[in-house]
Amino acid sequence: MPKHRVSMDIGGTFTDVIEFNEETGQYTAGKSSTTPNDLTQGVFDGLAQVLESVPEINFLVHGTTQGLNAFLQRRGEKVLLLATEGVGDVYQIARGHRTRLYDVHYRKPTPLVRRSDTVELTGRLRYDGSERTPLAEDQVRAAAARFRSEGFGAVAVALLFSYINPEHELAVERILREELGDSVQITLSHRVAREWREYERTSSAVLDAYTGPIVRRYLENLESKLLDRGLEVPLHVMQSSGGIISADSARTMTLQTLLSGPVGGAMGSLALAKRLGKPNLIGIDMGGTSFDISLVIGGQPDVSNEAELEGFPILMSVVNIHTIGAGGGSLAYHEAGGLRVGPESAGADPGPACYGRGGTQATVTDANLVLGRVDPTWFAGGTMKLEPSLADKAVAELGGAFGLDAVRMAEGICDVANAKMAQAIRNITVDRGIEPREFSLVAFGGAGPMHAVFIARELEIGEVVIPPSPGAFSAWGMLETEVRRDFSQSFYGTLADADKAEIARFLSAMEADARAALIADGIGAEAIRVSFALDMRYVAQEYTLTVAVEGDAFPSQDTFADSAARLFDAAHLSRFGHANPGAPIEIVTLRATVLGELSRPDPVPLEAATDAAYPFETRQIVFGKTEHATPVVRRDALRPGMVVPGPAVILEQTATTVLPPGTITTVEPYGSLIVQVGKEN
Amino acid sequence: MAAYDPILTEIIRSALNSAADEMNSTLIRSAYTPVIYEMKDCAVGLLDENHKTLGQSAGLPIFLGNLEIVTEYTEKLYGREVWQPGDVWILNDSYIAGTHLHDMTVYGPVFVDGELVGFSTCRAHWLDVGGKDAGSTTDSVDIFQEGLRVGALRVVEGGDLVEDVTDLLTRNSRFSYPARGDLFAMIACVKTGQGRLAAIIEKFGVENVKQARDEIFAQTARLEQETIRAIPDGEYHAEGCIDDDGLGSDPIWVRLKVIVAGERITFDLRETSDAARGPVNCGASQAISAARVAYKLLISPDKPVDGGAFSTLDVLVRDGSILGAQPPSPCEWYFSSLGLLIDLTVKAFETVLPDRVAGASAGDSMVIGIGGNDPRNGGVPFLLYEPTVGGWGAWDGGDGQDGLINNVNGSLKDMAVEIIETKYPVHMVYYRFRPDSGGVGRWRGGNGVERKYSVEVDGAWLSLWFERSVTPAWGLAGGGSATPPECWLNEGRPDARTMLKINALPIKRGDVITTRTGGGGGYGDPTVRARDAVEKDLREGQISPEAAREHYGYRP
Repeated sequence: MPKHRVSMDIGGTFTDVIEFNEETGQYTAGKSSTTPNDLTQGVFDGLAQVLESVPEINFLVHGTTQGLNAFLQRRGEKVLLLATEGVGDVYQIARGHRTRLYDVHYRKPTPLVRRSDTVELTGRLRYDGSERTPLAEDQVRAAAARFRSEGFGAVAVALLFSYINPEHELAVERILREELGDSVQITLSHRVAREWREYERTSSAVLDAYTGPIVRRYLENLESKLLDRGLEVPLHVMQSSGGIISADSARTMTLQTLLSGPVGGAMGSLALAKRLGKPNLIGIDMGGTSFDISLVIGGQPDVSNEAELEGFPILMSVVNIHTIGAGGGSLAYHEAGGLRVGPESAGADPGPACYGRGGTQATVTDANLVLGRVDPTWFAGGTMKLEPSLADKAVAELGGAFGLDAVRMAEGICDVANAKMAQAIRNITVDRGIEPREFSLVAFGGAGPMHAVFIARELEIGEVVIPPSPGAFSAWGMLETEVRRDFSQSFYGTLADADKAEIARFLSAMEADARAALIADGIGAEAIRVSFALDMRYVAQEYTLTVAVEGDAFPSQDTFADSAARLFDAAHLSRFGHANPGAPIEIVTLRATVLGELSRPDPVPLEAATDAAYPFETRQIVFGKTEHATPVVRRDALRPGMVVPGPAVILEQTATTVLPPGTITTVEPYGSLIVQVGKEN
Repeated sequence: MAAYDPILTEIIRSALNSAADEMNSTLIRSAYTPVIYEMKDCAVGLLDENHKTLGQSAGLPIFLGNLEIVTEYTEKLYGREVWQPGDVWILNDSYIAGTHLHDMTVYGPVFVDGELVGFSTCRAHWLDVGGKDAGSTTDSVDIFQEGLRVGALRVVEGGDLVEDVTDLLTRNSRFSYPARGDLFAMIACVKTGQGRLAAIIEKFGVENVKQARDEIFAQTARLEQETIRAIPDGEYHAEGCIDDDGLGSDPIWVRLKVIVAGERITFDLRETSDAARGPVNCGASQAISAARVAYKLLISPDKPVDGGAFSTLDVLVRDGSILGAQPPSPCEWYFSSLGLLIDLTVKAFETVLPDRVAGASAGDSMVIGIGGNDPRNGGVPFLLYEPTVGGWGAWDGGDGQDGLINNVNGSLKDMAVEIIETKYPVHMVYYRFRPDSGGVGRWRGGNGVERKYSVEVDGAWLSLWFERSVTPAWGLAGGGSATPPECWLNEGRPDARTMLKINALPIKRGDVITTRTGGGGGYGDPTVRARDAVEKDLREGQISPEAAREHYGYRP
């Protein structure tokens, strides 16, 4: 019997693999180099580290950056865009929006489709879906001829009001299929998102057409190679929404996989929230150039209905990952008598001064090295040696400009970097109307555990959690998540006057689609949960709040309008600090989310230590301007029942956890380190 | 006092900027009016106890650095002891804040341990503040036609909303629920700032924050002095005009003289035309802000604004000119001259900062308003009111952007066709680029856009405010001027009528309105434009074959 559940997070540099053995209840982590030319090589290298052979797998999920990389490197398909007559320029005008306020040389992002590759079609619907002008079918056939003769690889169709009546888009698809056959990528905007705003819907459809064929070819290649090696279960793929779907389904909705890479960590935090019984978590993932923040609020992931990628909007469910430019490579410098740290970064090349690749400016990594918080022989799991003398020189030189010695300067650089990361977290939590003090901080990624306690103290957060294998936490998150599909439907009307029978009908239709989709993915009917929500706002507002509706607030109930209004007022009050009860409310979008639980055995808790002592070496590390003789402990030596008082440093393959004086660290039964951050002393 | 601590100073500096960002997101996320949440027609700022900016967050550029005028004014009027913990004030008077009456400034003092340590302020545009026409008027002759004029009023006392004042403010708006919502959003924003500034001072200590502040201001001033010292001393000039005052006046001139001397720079605006009868006047404090925007565009685009910024800049304005409005001059369209001033400043530096300048842009907001009653919803009133994007100027090394929101506005997004047709009884026939409208040049000016609206209701009205046709966007370094804007009612029909400004013109079902925005100015000699750039413009339909031949000497 196959008994191994496996997840793979295929990143830009490394492929992380996590395996869960259902018999022993234990996890194993593996890591291989990503092989960009044919990702399957890195995948099989990683798999070989955690199991004997592919047929032993009984569940397999992976996150892929294939589509995202194609987009980032602008090597997607050549797309022909079919739009409604009169408004074909909407995609090029991009709402006339600019994001920099003081720049006379401003540039919008270069569209993925040229204006000359946009074909306007006669045929127009009214706002209510009725037909104003019939579709000119001959123009569609002419566009198909152009597709064939000019070497296009995909078609995006984005017609006005298709979210309320898809008939014209469907007719276009029918004709294109007749002309071009079944294998050509045709993206219809209403299938990507049944929501209003033609620019955002067009942008989503274009991105899908641009990246879809590449993702599909990749999935087919990987799946066939896995089948060759005897895989007996369907391959699953991580989605931007934080849920997974079968590769079969992913092939028809490739856009959903576009931002799947970074969401694994957020889903890991969600799984950790359940396992540890801590419903409010802030996840931080710090790498060389970026600092990613994600939230779990009340045991729920923080999911938005819209995202933006290099300025291009995408209408789809996305787990919110807030990225700021702060990382180990952030540069520290002198400006007009002041100290600055980041957001400019030394990047990977030349990188921090201590990399010895020609960088001479001090970075956060150099500062950590000067303070002794990084082991120069054990950076990136021992794959890289650092040069402490180069870090000393760069930091001392900057310190000279301020009359500070290297150690004081180094601690100052870390203090500023930590304060900035903490402020970024505060801004995000304030934006959500939540108080960081009521959360625990989960730190993962290479550098997160090094800074977490300092950041927590800035925010008055009492507890930091370092999960097992923090470097592979994203892969672990994928393994623990559920199957998910999201459905939406634009619906515009005031809450008080809306036809609730019609809303209920829309919701039931979405529910039926949702259940069918999950059953097709092999989920049993009893494991499926459906939830409904409405995007609402006060009349004349623009931003909407998504409010879950059930019970009294479900549209089939007489109490619907009043209950939904109360829920909305309460949500507005908690999010923004004020509400306008009695003001008219309007509905903008209806949503259904369906989750399919995967049955899986629980992991087995680690054995508690019989002896609370653990082996360690001692190193001199600076905390609070003075050197402390600091125990350095191997993570695999730590067991539940042991208590590590700060100062201490915990080393493992992919991460270093820095525990300043005043902290007390314990190990919970499933291996996470729980740090009571205490106070600086 | 302790020695300067660069680490603590930098931590406090980023905490102050971060606090301003929090205020901004509180305001934007919960505001009602589209001009706040999409045009970012708002600004937030934290001030110290001397009314100097500690932190300001992105919002409308032309509100830059003049929020302090309002707290200073209030203090001058009522004395310093008027500030009480938990109070929040509101003001909109054009001759104090400098802008039109739509712009409400909400502000309150910050206290720590009984000591006044600073102020939290925000400003945002309200949809309707009374006035003779719904939304906005283009033909007012005095301030009293433009709406409710509010001096300094307490709207929250000791933490409690003052209900009668709130009622007065919102009762005078035609859209009273949104006004109430925007007021609450602004109060929430001010309270966020009060809380954050107090928390920062409690955390770091009032003396440490004051010391850090002095150092931060000094750093910013030093940076700007260095930049200005690098500009050659001299006098630089530019002038241009807005078409008229909305009542059919002669063109109104904005004249700028820039004097650079060592580390100081002076913008002398005193030769600008006398105050106009129509609503194009602007309070002096706002003219100074616009000068600061232009200065910032050229001198320090990426640096946050604080109390040390603009210390090298003097702005001279003449009371009684359109940039120094005196009661009761109407001020509704105060920003048209300011957009022009910004473009003129860029032009003035053409030869001294060649790598930072660009040709002129299409102008300012280019607003269309269509109002009436919507029969689809039982005749409820509707008001479609939108700025239109235009072309931007080219520069040495780049073509101007086609179809981009103007420099005076924030980061507006145009209104989606699907939203317009759903919410208003209007059919948008087309929305597209306006080829050949950008100025020619080695680098081409950006093209404007065309929008065609078909009216699907009787008894409606039309207002227009389109500008910059007398001095359309000019080119630099030999680049050509752009095509000016153009608006039509029923173009090509016997009852056709063209105009750029109109107030509440009656329109009916079947009428068709076409608006065309101007392009941006070109840069450099068009005859040396790269052949492949001309071919690309031809292929993409941004220039016509005639223009390619005539201006660029292109032969296929």
